Amino acid sequence: MSFISLVGVEFKKIRRSKILFIMAVAAVILWIPSILNAKMNFGMQAEGISPENNFFIQGFMGMAWFMFPASMVVGTVLLSQTERANKGILKMLALPVSTAKLCIAKFVVLLTLAAAQILMMTGMYYISAAISSGTQDYNFILPTLFVLKEISLIFLSAIPMIAFFWMLSVCIQTPIFSIGIGFASIVPSVLIINTKAWFAYPMSYPFFVITSEYGKLAENLDTAPVELIPWLPVAILITILCLSISCLRFGQAERR
Amino acid sequence: MSVSLECKKVKRTGFLPAFIGGGILAAAVPVANMAVRSEMYLNQPGSPIQILLGANWQMMSMLNVLLAVAGACLLYHTEYADNAMQKMKSLPIRESSIFLGKAVLTIFMSLFVLVIEAGAVTFCSYRWFELGSGFWGELCKCFGYSFLLMLPCIILSLLISEACKNMWVSLGVGVVCVFTATILPTTNFSLSLFPFAMPFQIFAGTDITQSTHYICGTVIELAVCGLAQLILVKVRRSFE
Repeated sequence: MSFISLVGVEFKKIRRSKILFIMAVAAVILWIPSILNAKMNFGMQAEGISPENNFFIQGFMGMAWFMFPASMVVGTVLLSQTERANKGILKMLALPVSTAKLCIAKFVVLLTLAAAQILMMTGMYYISAAISSGTQDYNFILPTLFVLKEISLIFLSAIPMIAFFWMLSVCIQTPIFSIGIGFASIVPSVLIINTKAWFAYPMSYPFFVITSEYGKLAENLDTAPVELIPWLPVAILITILCLSISCLRFGQAERR
Repeated sequence: MSVSLECKKVKRTGFLPAFIGGGILAAAVPVANMAVRSEMYLNQPGSPIQILLGANWQMMSMLNVLLAVAGACLLYHTEYADNAMQKMKSLPIRESSIFLGKAVLTIFMSLFVLVIEAGAVTFCSYRWFELGSGFWGELCKCFGYSFLLMLPCIILSLLISEACKNMWVSLGVGVVCVFTATILPTTNFSLSLFPFAMPFQIFAGTDITQSTHYICGTVIELAVCGLAQLILVKVRRSFE
């Protein structure tokens, strides 16, 4: 079985899971306060950020700090529980497919869910920016190229985090522990991004990146810049480590 | 009978260690915060509890709420995963009493978590501030209030978990609710009555009339959730 068709099979499995619906609801809820409080974007002279940039970045900061990582935890639960529910995993393991391939195919699905959520957020951003432009009589819509750059930054920085969550759900059979550790690791990311060791903590990457973008856009605000040198090697190392551990451990508990 | 049965069911699910671990983690927040930057808080006005909760309660209550959501999901997941619920339904007990048993268990564990946190707050006050004469009374009032405001959140997340057969749906809905609670403006009274937003309230420093309003809100929400549970069971029976 080729890798592409494996990924296709995985997509078919989650077709009726309603996960996209839950993500869409989250995206809508996130932008409602931004539309209602659109006026507040004009009072940001102290930070020196333009209203349209502030509108964009505040919304995405709200997503990157909690909603996005938490939905990825939910995504890992979805991927592992659909298989375990009626022993579907046993049938998959009986097929002549390498388990590592199966594991990576599921990870690709998870990445696609992440991308889907970010795209939904972006879609909702454009809608709410258009509504706010109407109500406030000011153009809130940013150029597409800039928005694309920012959302791809968030997505790329989230990959190590997603790999970590995936490793948790593969290695820890008890669902409450994988969920609990996932959630518990999200909450302190607000503290971690203010320390020097943020690059060692994958859960804080998306929030750190968006915060440093905020600092770049706001003239009077000093946030830590993204330093590629310790970060990029560490991030790649974490991703490879997490993925190889999950590939090794995938299906081990069922084969025993 | 039902509660002890529920206790037996959660024995190997990791429910108890998760709550204990979560409680310790939440309790570590104020201790770590004080250990790292105590000079920021020592000179603030107000009682030690007020300062400590003001600085850390946001994160602690977030952990509490997430724990309640995850715990509730797990409790119903064990029933739905291998169709144990069908066997439970065939027993001569009411479905509501299953709900009640799970609710009592979760509430008890949340109380346990709050007690651990209260211990941490006491430790911090003892270590970095001094224990005044009215300290214990204030501590009991504060955490009793937090416990009361936790109840609607627990009951509602159990209700969501009962309504959704798939764990990720109930977890996803719970996460969306927690997220909504974090972005709701805390100054607006009617919006902060949202069950998932209530645990973020702090007793210390707010005036009595507002706290009374919140307690009334809690009682009303509990009644509504209880009624909704009864209706849900009845309606679902007629469709299955």
